[in-house]
Amino acid sequence: MIDTTGSGAERIIWAARSMPVLTQVAARVKSAGTLNGLRVGVSLVLEPKTANLAIALRDAGADVVVYCNASSTDQQVVEALRAREFRVFADSAATEADELQLAREFLETGLDILIDDGASVTRLAHREYPELVAKMIGAAEETTSGVRPLRVMHEEGQLRLPVIAVNDSAAKYLFDNIYGTGQSCVMAFLDITNLQLAGRRVVVVGYGWVGMGVAKFAAALGARVIVSEIDPIRALRALHDGYEVTAFREAAGAAEVVFSCTGLADAVTAEHVEALPDGAFLCTAGGGDFEMPMEYLRGLDGPRHVRHAVTAFTTRSGRTVNLISEGDCLNCADAEGNPIEVMDLSLSLQALAVERLAADAKDWQPGVYDLPADIEQEVARIRLEAAGGSLESLTDRQREAARAW
Amino acid sequence: MAELADRIDGGGDAALARDGAARIEWVREHSPVLDGYVRDAVSDGSLRGKRVAVVVHLEAKTAFLATVLADAGAEVIAAGSNPRTTDASVVAALRERGMTVVADAGGDYDSWEAELRAAADCEPDYIIDDGAELTMRTAEHRPDVFARLKGVSEETTTGTARLQAMAAAGNLPFPALTANDARCKHLFDNRYATGQTTLQALLRLTNRQIAGARIAVVGYGYVGKGLALYAQAMGARTFVTEVDPVRALEAHTDGHTVGSRAEIFPQADAIITATGGMRAIGEADIPFLAHDVVLGNAGHHDLEVDTEALAAAASEVFESRPGITSYTVAGRDVHVLAGGALVNIAGGSGHPVEVMDLTFAVQGLGVHHLASTELEPGVHILPKELDDSIATAKLASYGITLDALRADQRDDHTARMEEGGAA
Repeated sequence: MIDTTGSGAERIIWAARSMPVLTQVAARVKSAGTLNGLRVGVSLVLEPKTANLAIALRDAGADVVVYCNASSTDQQVVEALRAREFRVFADSAATEADELQLAREFLETGLDILIDDGASVTRLAHREYPELVAKMIGAAEETTSGVRPLRVMHEEGQLRLPVIAVNDSAAKYLFDNIYGTGQSCVMAFLDITNLQLAGRRVVVVGYGWVGMGVAKFAAALGARVIVSEIDPIRALRALHDGYEVTAFREAAGAAEVVFSCTGLADAVTAEHVEALPDGAFLCTAGGGDFEMPMEYLRGLDGPRHVRHAVTAFTTRSGRTVNLISEGDCLNCADAEGNPIEVMDLSLSLQALAVERLAADAKDWQPGVYDLPADIEQEVARIRLEAAGGSLESLTDRQREAARAW
Repeated sequence: MAELADRIDGGGDAALARDGAARIEWVREHSPVLDGYVRDAVSDGSLRGKRVAVVVHLEAKTAFLATVLADAGAEVIAAGSNPRTTDASVVAALRERGMTVVADAGGDYDSWEAELRAAADCEPDYIIDDGAELTMRTAEHRPDVFARLKGVSEETTTGTARLQAMAAAGNLPFPALTANDARCKHLFDNRYATGQTTLQALLRLTNRQIAGARIAVVGYGYVGKGLALYAQAMGARTFVTEVDPVRALEAHTDGHTVGSRAEIFPQADAIITATGGMRAIGEADIPFLAHDVVLGNAGHHDLEVDTEALAAAASEVFESRPGITSYTVAGRDVHVLAGGALVNIAGGSGHPVEVMDLTFAVQGLGVHHLASTELEPGVHILPKELDDSIATAKLASYGITLDALRADQRDDHTARMEEGGAA
C-alpha cells in the first residue's frame, strides 16, 4: 500500500499527508489538461515538500525536470525522485563547476515553464541560452531575493519572459514568513540549546513578517520580547502587539537572545555584540550570516565549538557570546525548515502560477507580474476547508449596501 | 534531525565520553542553583560514604545531579528510568569519572529490568527514583535491601501514587519524600518544561505546523495545563478531556474546548496523553481516532498510548519517518511518536536545563534531608522552607529582588482578633 523504500521516499509520503491543497490543485489541473505535453522545470530547495510539487505537476500532466544547487539538495530526496523516474539535475556533493553544468543540462532539456528560486536559472538562461528563452512561455519566482534582480532586468529592457512573483503574494508571506519561519526558528533555538525562552529577554531585530512571527512564538513560550525597528509604523505596530520597542543599541545590554530578522547586512554590529550580557545567544532568522558581524566575530578569542550548532566567542570586554548555526538561518541550517502545511500553501501557489502561465502567458509581454488574485483566493479557500473551516458569503442586500453611496 | 542527540565529536569511546562531558558541562553552566546553593548545602558531610542510587532518565541533566552528589562524598549508582531514554555519551562520561553506571543505551525492557536488578544488588542506602521503578523492584528482587533502605526521594506523580499505595498497604518501612509535591518541582517541571518540550518534539518529529492545528490533551493536571497553555499560545486550537470535574471546569475557563473522548478525539490532528496512568488512549478509543491523527505521550508510562492494542487492531504497521510508527486501523492511519515513550525525552532532548536545575535541587536537597534528619517511615513532603530556599536561590541567580511585606500591609482585623480583641 505505502512505498517505504528509502527514507527520502518515506519523508515525501509523510509530507504529502499534510499537503491537501497541492493534491486538490493537481487533480483540478489534470482534469483541465492545461499542462499536458508541457515541460516544467522545478528549481527549488530540494527536500520532501518541494519533491511533492514535482510529483503533483507530473500527476497534473506536465513533463517535470528538477534542478537544485548542492547546498540546498537533500540527496535522499534526489534518489527518491529518480526511483520515481524523474530527471533530476542535482547532487549534494557537486562542486560549483558541476552545479553550473547541471543547470545547463537542466535548461537544455528545453523548458516551457520554469519555477525558480533566487532567479538563478532565469538569469543563466538569459545569459547563455537566448534561443531557449525565446521558446519559453514564462517563469514563476519563489523568493524576495529573486524578484529584485528580475525587476532590475525588466527596467533595463533585458527581461525576455513574463515572470510571476509568487513571493509577493499575501497568501505566501502572511503564512510562510510569519507562522512558518516564526515557528521553525523559535523551535530550532529550543531544540539546539535545550533551554527555555520563558523569562528570557529576547530582542527581535526587525519587525517585518518574519520578525512578527518570531516575536509571536517567543512571547508564546514566555519570553519577554523587545522589538528593535527602523520604520516608525512597524515599530508602533510592535508596541500595539504588546512588545517593548527600543533601539537595539539601547536594548543590547539586556538582550539574552537576539533574533536578527531583517534580511539586511550588518543588522547586528560589533558594538551591539560588545554590549550583550554574558552568555547571550545570536541567531539569524532572516537572510543569512551577512546579518551578523562575522568578520569581527572571527577576530575574537575562541571560537569554541561547545555544542552542536553552538559556537562560543569571548568578546573584547571578556564576555561569552554564543553564535547559533554559524550565523546562518537556524531553521534551515539545523532543523527541517518550514512546516509542511505552510509549504503546502506556497507550493500550491506555484502550481497554479504555472497553470496560469500555460493557459494565458503566450500573449503576455515580458515583465514581472503579480500572482493573480483569484489564485490566492482559491488556495486560501481550499486550505481553510481542508482544516475544517468554512466561508460566509454576502447576501444580495449586503452586496447592494456595499455599492451604495 | 532523526539523530536527536547533538553529537559534537566523531566516533570512538573516548570521543563519546568527551561528547558526554561537553553536554554535562553545558548543563552545569545553566544550573546556577544546583551548582551553587545546593552544592554547598549537601557538602556538609552527611552524604559522605552513603550509597545513593539515581534512577532518572539518564541524560546530561541527571548526570550533573549525580556528579554534584558524588562531589559531596556519596557513592552514586546511576541507572535509567526508561530503556529508551538513556544517552550513550553521558553513560561513557560518567563511567570515565569512575561512577557506577548500570545502564546502557539502546536497551529494551528485558535489559532494563536486568539493569534495575543490578542497581538493587548495589545495595543502595537512598534512592532518587522516577516512577518508583527501582523502589518497587528492590521490594521484589531484594527484600533484604528494601528492608534496610534509609529513604527514597521520588520524581513523578506516577511514582508518588505508587509510594502512597505501598504506605497504605503498610509496606513502606522507610521515609519517602515526594519531590513531585514540592512547588519548585511540579509548578515548573510538570507544567512549563513538559509542555514546552513535548510540543518541541511533536513539531520536530513531524515537521508539522502548530498554528491552526487541533491539539487534544488527555488529562488536565500540571502537565496537561502546560501543554494546553503553550499550544494555545502558539496558535493551536486546544481541546481537553478530563475525568475530574474541577479540573475540567478549570480547562473550560482557561479557554480550551472540553468534552468526552468520543466528542474530542475525532476532531484532533494530534492527541497528547498526560494522565500519568496507562491506556489513556486504549482499545476502546481506537474507533474515535481520525485518519492521520498523531499520538504522543507526555506521561510516565510507555503504555499511556496503548500501542499493544493498536498493533492488535492494525492491518499494517510501518515506520512513516524516523520516530513515527504508523498503524493502519480500519483504513485509517494512526501515527505514534517515539513508540509511545515520553516523547520529549525519547524523541527530543528532554526538559530544558533551567527547569531541571529546580527539579534536581529538590531531589538533591531531598536526599540530603533524608540523610541528615530523623524521619518516621511513610510519605513526606519536602519542608516548605527548603522548597522556598530553592526559588530564592533561582531568583538571586537572575538578579531578581523579592519584595518584602511591610508590617502595615497586614489586615488590621486579623491582628486585633489574634490579640483577643473584637474584629
